Amino acid sequence: MSTAKARVLEDGQGRRAAFEDIQVGQSLGEMEWEITDDLIDLQCQLDQDFDPLYFPQSGATTRVAPPSMTYRPPRWLFSRTYNVRGLFVRWENETFREIAPNTTIRVTGSIVDKYVQKDREFVVYQAEGRDSAGNLVFRSRRTHVLDFVERTAPRAGAGIDSGIKPERI
Amino acid sequence: MSIITKDVKLGFELPAVSKKFRIEDFRRGDEKTIHTDHEAAAKEGLPAPVAVGPQVAALIFRQMRLCFGAGWIVGGRFDLTFRKPVFVTDFCVARGIVTKTEREGEKLRVHCDVRVENQERGIVITGRASAVVPIVDTLPPRS
Repeated sequence: MSTAKARVLEDGQGRRAAFEDIQVGQSLGEMEWEITDDLIDLQCQLDQDFDPLYFPQSGATTRVAPPSMTYRPPRWLFSRTYNVRGLFVRWENETFREIAPNTTIRVTGSIVDKYVQKDREFVVYQAEGRDSAGNLVFRSRRTHVLDFVERTAPRAGAGIDSGIKPERI
Repeated sequence: MSIITKDVKLGFELPAVSKKFRIEDFRRGDEKTIHTDHEAAAKEGLPAPVAVGPQVAALIFRQMRLCFGAGWIVGGRFDLTFRKPVFVTDFCVARGIVTKTEREGEKLRVHCDVRVENQERGIVITGRASAVVPIVDTLPPRS
């Protein structure tokens, strides 16, 4: 059970998206995502994974990024369209090609479902990333619950955190 | 280098990967978020700041990378459900077991049931993950 008696109505980035606002089928747009060595360093730091695959030693093959690096760009697309703080509840993902530094991936996404379960509101979106030749690099599908507080609680007051954040790893 | 090969047996237990989280693991500049600030978490109805989900799931990703190497980097799949919040000072351990193998072209896809448990052995993440291993030995024949 949650401790607050209300669901957050707004935060510093504006009004929170309501369940009724979410349009199934809506495009989340697209973005060009540049992969840099610094981003890979940061992702490995977050994951606490410093395998030589990600930090090749002298004479080794080229560097690759951990597949987990694909988490944030689809979330940024989602946040550009809807201000949803909520919590992440399901993550499906497949990686088809290596993600290498000094490449650009075009990421697109859309809303694919929304539903109510256990007195909470959920939204499902999907995204994919393609390299400059159009090859599929990753595909992902995520589910977020809009609020930790049950949907029967009214929306009121301002939150401190927001679903809209600086687009950085 | 990877631990799992085409000869893996069903029921093989993946090596556990664990971490004791700290609130500092989730700080990004001076942002006040549900991951770093008690008041921000309370506003959302949370009893305490919660860990960033993907950083907890990363325990499973490290486990899969350790077991499959390049076969996780390209060809890795997962479907994870975050069942309950992880708080920012929790201890978590990723565990997994091989459940199925199937041929996929010149490779063998190895399916695993995976989970992350907290310090009370409560399951906070559960799901499936798979990766591929070569079927054909890549070592040159002995002369």
